[in-house]
Amino acid sequence: MSYFGLAALEVTLLGLLGGIVGPLIVPRRRSFFAVALSHATFPGGVIFAVLGYNLLIGQALFAVLLVLIMAALSRVPRQGRQVASGVVLALGFALGTLLTSLNPDLGVPVEALLVGSPLSVTPTDVLATCCVLVCSLLVLALFRRRILFHSFDPAGFAAAGYRSWPVELVVVAVIAGAVVVAMPAVGAILGVAILIAPAAAAQLVVTRITLLPPVAAMLGVGSGLLGLWASRQLDLAAGGAVGLATTLVYVLAALWRWIVHRTPKEVVT
Amino acid sequence: MDVSLLDMLQLPFMARAMITLAVLALAAGVVGLGISFREMEFVSDGVVHAVFPGLVVGSLVAGTAGLLPGALIAAVLAAVLFTVLERRRGSSSDAAIAVVLTGLFSLGVVLVSKQHGYVSQLQELLFGHLLTVTPEQLWQIVVVAVLAIGVMLVTGRAQLFRAFDPAGFAAAGFRPLVTDLALAVATSLLVVAGVQALGVLMVVSLLTVPMGVARLVTRRLGALVPIAVLVPLIVGALGLWWSFEWSVLHDVSVSPGALVVLLLVAAYLVAVAVRLIAQATGARRRRRVSSGASAIAGARGSAHPGRVAP
Repeated sequence: MSYFGLAALEVTLLGLLGGIVGPLIVPRRRSFFAVALSHATFPGGVIFAVLGYNLLIGQALFAVLLVLIMAALSRVPRQGRQVASGVVLALGFALGTLLTSLNPDLGVPVEALLVGSPLSVTPTDVLATCCVLVCSLLVLALFRRRILFHSFDPAGFAAAGYRSWPVELVVVAVIAGAVVVAMPAVGAILGVAILIAPAAAAQLVVTRITLLPPVAAMLGVGSGLLGLWASRQLDLAAGGAVGLATTLVYVLAALWRWIVHRTPKEVVT
Repeated sequence: MDVSLLDMLQLPFMARAMITLAVLALAAGVVGLGISFREMEFVSDGVVHAVFPGLVVGSLVAGTAGLLPGALIAAVLAAVLFTVLERRRGSSSDAAIAVVLTGLFSLGVVLVSKQHGYVSQLQELLFGHLLTVTPEQLWQIVVVAVLAIGVMLVTGRAQLFRAFDPAGFAAAGFRPLVTDLALAVATSLLVVAGVQALGVLMVVSLLTVPMGVARLVTRRLGALVPIAVLVPLIVGALGLWWSFEWSVLHDVSVSPGALVVLLLVAAYLVAVAVRLIAQATGARRRRRVSSGASAIAGARGSAHPGRVAP
C-alpha cells in the first residue's frame, strides 16, 4: 500500500474512533483533560525514542502515569477543577522539552511528535489504531447504558446505587487509548483535534443522542480525508491540514445551526 | 556549587533572563489570581495556542520585529473570542474552546510549513529562548507585562466582586462582559509577554501553577498574590542557576525554561503534600479537642446527677 493510502486508512480509522470517543469527551466536559493528556504524553515519546523503542508504547505508558497523577491531584481540596489538568500539562511538556534539550541529536524529529505527520505512519500504527477502535467498541457496547446515565446525571447515578469509579475508569481508559494512537498521525498538540471537533460539530447539528456517534464518525472521517487531500494538493503540513479541516467542519456546523435554529437551544448538555 | 548565583548574574544574558523571569513572575501572580478564581485555566491554554499563528504571521510580515505585534493581535482576538464563546455556549463551551485552540494551532503549523527551514523556527516558537532575550525584547516584555498588571489593578475590585458573587455583581449594575473582557485581555497580554522567553506551551504553567500553590498554602486573600509571585521568582532563580551550572560544568545542554517549569511543578507537589499533612494533623487535633470536650461534659454530668448530658 502506498504511503498516501496508508495515511488515508489511518485518518479514516481515527475519524471512526473520534465518533466513539468524542461523545465521551464532549458532553462530559473532559476536553481540557483530553488536551492536557495529549500534550503531556510528549516526554513518553521522547524517552522511548532515546531508548530506541516504539514511541507508541512510551506514550501509552506515560499516559497511564499521567492519568494516575491527575486522578490523585483532582482529589486535593481547595483548587479549581482545571488545576490538575494544567499542572499535568506543564509537567509533561516541560519534561519533554528538557529531555529534548538533553539529547540534541535525537533520531526522531521532535516536530513529528508534536504536530504529527500522517504521511509517515507505519502499518504498526494503523494496527494499533485498529485495536483501540475494536476495544473501545466492545467496552462501550458493554457499558453503554451506565456511561450514558453517568454522563447526564452523576448524582442520580450514585443515588441509584451504582459506583462511579468503574465508569470513570472505563471512560478515561478509552480517551487515553484514543489520544495515544492519534499521536503518530496528528501529534501531541493536535491529537485531540480529530477526536473532539467532529463530536462537538455533531452536537450542534443532531437532535438525538443516538445520532451523535454516527454523525461524529462521519464528520471525523470526512474532515480527516479532506485535510489529507488538501495537504497533498496545496503542499501543506499534513497534520496541521487535518487539524484545520476538523475546525472548518465545526465552524460550518455552528453556522448551520445558527441559520436553522436562530434561537440557541441546548440539545445535549 | 562552583558558580555562585551572583557570578552567574554578572553575565548580561543571564541577568536578562533573570529579569525576564522576575517580570513574568510578578505579572503572572497578579493575573493568575483572576484566572484561578474564575477557573479560566483552559481559556488561558486556548490563548496560548492562539498566539502561535499570530507569531507566524507576524514573522512573515515583518520578520523578528513583527513577532510581538502579531502575537498581541492574535492573543487579544482569541481572548475576546473565548470570552464570547464561554458566555454564549455555557456548559458546552469547553469543547468549543478545544476546537478553536486546535484549529488556531493547526493554522500556525500550516502557515509555518509553507516556509523553508520551518523546523528550527517551529522549535524556537514552541520551546522559547530564555537565554537569548535581547535588550529590545526585554523592554517589550516589560511594557506588555506592566500593561497586564495595569488592567488587573484598574479592574481588580470589580474582578473580585464578579468572582465571588456573580448575581450580586450584575444586580449592582456592573457589566460582567466588560470585566470578563478585561481579564481576558490581561491574560492575553501576559501570554504574549511570556511566550518568547518560555515558548508557546510552558507559559500556561506560569499562569496556573503559582496561584495553585498559593491557594493551597494560604486562605488569606491578601497573601495569595505575594506567594504566587515569590514562588516562581525563587524557582526561576534556582532553575536558571542549575541549568547554567550543568551547562558550564558538565557540558550538557539543559533547557532553562523547561527546568524552571519543572521546578514550579515540583513546588506545587510540595504544596499539595504540605496541605495534606496539615489537614491530617488538623483533623487529629480537632478530634482530640472534641473528645476532650466531651470528657469534660461527662465529668460535669456526673457532678450534677440530676441533669442529663446532651
